Amino acid sequence: MAEEMSHFQQFKSGIVENNPVLVQLLGMCPTLAITNSLENALVMGAAATFVVVMSNLITSLLRNLIQPHVRILIFTLTIATFVTIADMTLKAHLYQVSKQLGAFVPLIIVNCMIICRAEVVALKSGVGRSLADAFGIGIGFTLALSILGVIREILGSGSLTLPGGMKLLELPPGFDPHAWIIMILPPGAFLTLGVVVGVVNYLRQRKPKEVPA
Amino acid sequence: MKKFLHESWLVVLMGGAFAALLATTQSATIDRIRENERQDLDTAIAEVVPDLGAGRPPEKLRVAEHDVYRCRDARGMLVGWVVDASGVGFIDKIRLVVGLSPDGRTITGVKVIGHLETPGLGNKIETKGDEHFYPLQYAGKSTQRAMELVKRPAGEPHEIQAITGATYSSQYVMDIVNAVIARVVPELPAEKG
Repeated sequence: MAEEMSHFQQFKSGIVENNPVLVQLLGMCPTLAITNSLENALVMGAAATFVVVMSNLITSLLRNLIQPHVRILIFTLTIATFVTIADMTLKAHLYQVSKQLGAFVPLIIVNCMIICRAEVVALKSGVGRSLADAFGIGIGFTLALSILGVIREILGSGSLTLPGGMKLLELPPGFDPHAWIIMILPPGAFLTLGVVVGVVNYLRQRKPKEVPA
Repeated sequence: MKKFLHESWLVVLMGGAFAALLATTQSATIDRIRENERQDLDTAIAEVVPDLGAGRPPEKLRVAEHDVYRCRDARGMLVGWVVDASGVGFIDKIRLVVGLSPDGRTITGVKVIGHLETPGLGNKIETKGDEHFYPLQYAGKSTQRAMELVKRPAGEPHEIQAITGATYSSQYVMDIVNAVIARVVPELPAEKG
């Protein structure tokens, strides 16, 4: 970092310029696996946000005590603990969704997006900045998953349902979701992600570059 | 030793603290998780034994290595049996309950309660109102003969129509039900009246 960003810029960077999914292409496993509906995407995003916030908080608090060569061990320990807490909480309070997400909640442990934030930001910054960064990254992750979830659910199921069962949108009966079934299957995840990342890259390149590299 | 401690004390301490944290979360949520699982099973049992009504809590038995629930109505009359069975699925294990008539000769319903089949295709093995025809076909089938999967509207009484695009998922569910018919039904304890 040439120049120190403000906390707000740090927060915003995780959502826009450094969006973990659409720009950094991190955390692809949940992105591809569970974005077949908006509800799954939101719950997965919330769980990952909780974990990245707690991991950044703890790492930042202990940053002066952590021995460099055991840092990965400490990150993993922290992340695994909070993923397990998130998993138990989902099973207790959102049982049906947690059944659908299956093994993907425990798999947040290996989401490199989270360990990356601990290493790049929390180990070197104060609590305020680390939290701003974690919330930014978490929201950016949730947003990206939700974009994919909305596109895939509308095309693949012909409707859009909010968590809690409220139907937000239903395509007219003339639309046959069976013809688009591929959208909620794995290939649909790759196709949608490719198109969305393409659009994001196009928009990023259109922005005038302030300083030529 | 000193060097070792110097480098590892934080990890040891954090390990202890996190263990305590996990233990606290576990004890705070475990009752609710168990309750969720029990409710899930109870709902499924009520669905596959239509005559249960506001009956007594089903009595759990162990028959041929399966959990079997003996269901009685409020007056103590036997209204059916429920077998909790699981088997291989397309992605992960499929767990389902099979409802049986009091004499064990007829299936009263099948409900899948745990699976990770493909969304949009294989997950149609799950009951969802009348929208998914597949699981509804089992109600009324005889347990005297193994069922067969067909890829057209079922004609014979022992035939089950597969879900289009999810033949394997359909087959796996049927295999579990057929195994229940073959292994558990003959072992059900005899019941008078």
